[in-house]
Amino acid sequence: MIEAPKLSVIVPFFNEEENVGPLYDALVAALDPLGLAYELVLVDDGSGDATLARLHHLARNDSRVVLVRFRRNCGQTAAMAAGIETARGEVLVTMDGDLQNDPADIGMLLGRIEAGFDIVVGWRFNRQDKLVSRKIPSRIANRLIGRVTGVPIHDNGCSLKAYRASLIKHIPLYSEMHRFIPAMASIAAPRIAEIKVRHHARRFGKSKYGLSRVYKVLLDLLVIKTLASFAARPLLWFATLALPILLAGTGLLVSALLDSLLTGSAPSLPLAGCGLIFLTAAFMLLCSGALGELVYHLGDMRDHQFARLTQQLRAHTVTVETQAQ
Amino acid sequence: MSDSNSAIRLSVIVPVGARHTDVRELYAEYRMGLERLRTPYELIFVVDGPHRDVLGGLESIIDAAESNLVVVALNKSFGESTAIMAGFERARGELIMTLPAYHQVDPQDLGKLLAVLDDKDVAIGWRWPRAGGVLERARRALFHRFVGAVSGMRLHDLGCGARAMKRVVLEELSLYGDQHRLLAVLADRKGFKVAEVELRQSGRDHFEGVYRPREYAHLVLDVFTVFFLVRFTKKPLRFFGMLGASMFGLGALLVLYLVFERLVFGDSLADRPALILSALVVVLGLQLFALGLLAELIIFTHARHIKDYQGAEIIHYPQAGVPRPLREARPGKTAVS
Repeated sequence: MIEAPKLSVIVPFFNEEENVGPLYDALVAALDPLGLAYELVLVDDGSGDATLARLHHLARNDSRVVLVRFRRNCGQTAAMAAGIETARGEVLVTMDGDLQNDPADIGMLLGRIEAGFDIVVGWRFNRQDKLVSRKIPSRIANRLIGRVTGVPIHDNGCSLKAYRASLIKHIPLYSEMHRFIPAMASIAAPRIAEIKVRHHARRFGKSKYGLSRVYKVLLDLLVIKTLASFAARPLLWFATLALPILLAGTGLLVSALLDSLLTGSAPSLPLAGCGLIFLTAAFMLLCSGALGELVYHLGDMRDHQFARLTQQLRAHTVTVETQAQ
Repeated sequence: MSDSNSAIRLSVIVPVGARHTDVRELYAEYRMGLERLRTPYELIFVVDGPHRDVLGGLESIIDAAESNLVVVALNKSFGESTAIMAGFERARGELIMTLPAYHQVDPQDLGKLLAVLDDKDVAIGWRWPRAGGVLERARRALFHRFVGAVSGMRLHDLGCGARAMKRVVLEELSLYGDQHRLLAVLADRKGFKVAEVELRQSGRDHFEGVYRPREYAHLVLDVFTVFFLVRFTKKPLRFFGMLGASMFGLGALLVLYLVFERLVFGDSLADRPALILSALVVVLGLQLFALGLLAELIIFTHARHIKDYQGAEIIHYPQAGVPRPLREARPGKTAVS
C-alpha cells in the first residue's frame, strides 16, 4: 500500500494459533467498511506454536499486515511497545489476540478520537471471565490505580484502547505498564474517554494471566507516581529531602559545641558525630539532586515535550475563504 | 585450506592472556582439530598484552606462510572479553568460535560445537567427564548452582573457553569486562537459543596451585553481575528502594528504642555510641533510596533507547497487495496456512 495508513491496529500474539485466522477475518470485516487506509501490526511475542507461521502467511498475502517478530517471549508490554513503535498510523488501536475483544468496536473508539479525545479506553462492562480469580482482583486494582493516579478508569486491564499516535509514541513503556498506559500517560494530562465494549468468552487457547500480576502492577504504579512528581525537578525534590536532615545535623553539631563551651568539657562525641553524619548525608543528597538534573537534562523525557503532546491551541486566525465556483 | 577470503565460513578466535601454553603447540593442535571439520576457516590469535614469547611463536608460524592465520597484538592487557571483540572485528566467518589459549578441551571434539549451531545460536563447551578433586568439584557445583538459581539456566562450566556462536550474537552482545564467562546468560537474555555441549577434557588441562582470593572474588562478582543484569536492570527502584527502606526502618526503630530508654530509664542519649550507629543506618537507607531514584530516572528518561525487547524483526510484504473482501473469498481456503 502506497499511502500512509491512518489507522494502525496493534495485536500482540503469544501462543494463539487458533485465534490468528478468525481474528484477522474479523478485523478485516470490521475495518473495511470504515473506508480508511489502515494497517494491522501483528506482534508475535516468541510463540512456540504455529502462531508465527500463520501470521507469516497473512503478511505474505496482505500488504496491510506488518508482522513484528520477537526471538523469545518478552511479555505483553514489550510486544505492545514494539507494535506502537512500528505502527505508522495517526491513530493506534491496541487489542488482545485472544478474540475476547470485538474488532467491531474499533469504529466506536475511532469516533471518540475524532471527537477530540487523546485516549479512548474500552470498558468490558459485561466481562466474560472467572469471578474470583479475575474479576474481583481486577476491580480492586482498578480502584487503587484510579485513586493513585487520579485517572478513574473502570477497566485498566482492557486491551482494547485507541490512542493518538503522537501522544502514545512518547510515553515510555516498560515492565508491566501496558495495563495502565492511561495512568502512565496522565503525566501529559490527556483527554481520556471511556466507552463500553463487548467482551467474549475465550474460544480457543488458554488465558495467560493470574493473580500474581497485581503486586507487580501496584509496585510499578508507585514508581511511576514517584517519577511523575520527581522527574522534572530532581534537584528540588532532593533538596526537600535534604533540608530537614541539614537542619537536624546543624542543630546537633551546634548543641554539642555550645554544650562543650558552656561546661568547658570536650564535646560529646556521639552527638557531634551524629551531626556530622547528618550534614554529610544532606550534602550527598544535594549532590544526588544535581546528578539527577544532569540525567534529566541529557535524557529525552522532558516536561515541555509532554506539555506539547496534548496542548490545545486557540488563536484568532484569519481564514481566507476561497470560493469554489 | 582455502585461498579466497570470501569462502571463509568459520572464524576461530583465540584470546591469549596471561595463562597460556606454547602457541606453536596449541596452533598445531587446534589446526588438526579444525581441519577435520572440512569447513573453510580462519584462526585469529589475539595477544592480550605484551607476551613476547607468544608473539615470537606466532611470528614463526606466520612465516611458514599460513594464509588463514591472523594475529592481533594488543599493547596492553585489556581482558579476555575485549580481546575476543578485537578478534571479532577482523572475523570474516559467518560462524564464530572462541577457543582457550591453553589445553582445555580435546580438539577432536570441536565439530560437536559447530553441529549444535544448526538449530541453536550459541554453543557453550562443557568439559565432561572432568577431572578434579572433591573440593574443586564442590566449589564448581556451588558456583554454578548460584548462577543457576539467579539466572534460571542450568549451566555446568562457565569457565570453559570453547564456545561457538552465530555472527549475529557477538554483533548484538558487544562484550566487555568479564562478560565472556557469562556469555551464555547474556545471550539467553537477548533471546538467543543457547545449548551446552559436552566436550572431552584435554588430558593436559589441569590447574596446579591454589585458587587465590582474587579468583573467588571474581566468582562472587560474576554471580552478582548475573543477578543484577537479570533482575534489576529495568526496575532499579525495586531493588534499591527495598534495601533502602528496610535500612531506614531499622535505623528508625533503633532511634525510637534509644529515645524510649531516655524517656523511661533516663539513660543519657547524647553520650551513647548507639546513637551514631542509628544515625548511620538511617542515612544509609536514605542514600540507597536516592540511588534507586536516580537509577530509575536514568531508565525513565532513556526508556526509548533501552528496550525490553531485543532483536525484533519486522516482516512486511508491501507488494503483496490487498486480498479481495471476505465475502468473495476463495472457498475452502482460509487465512490459515
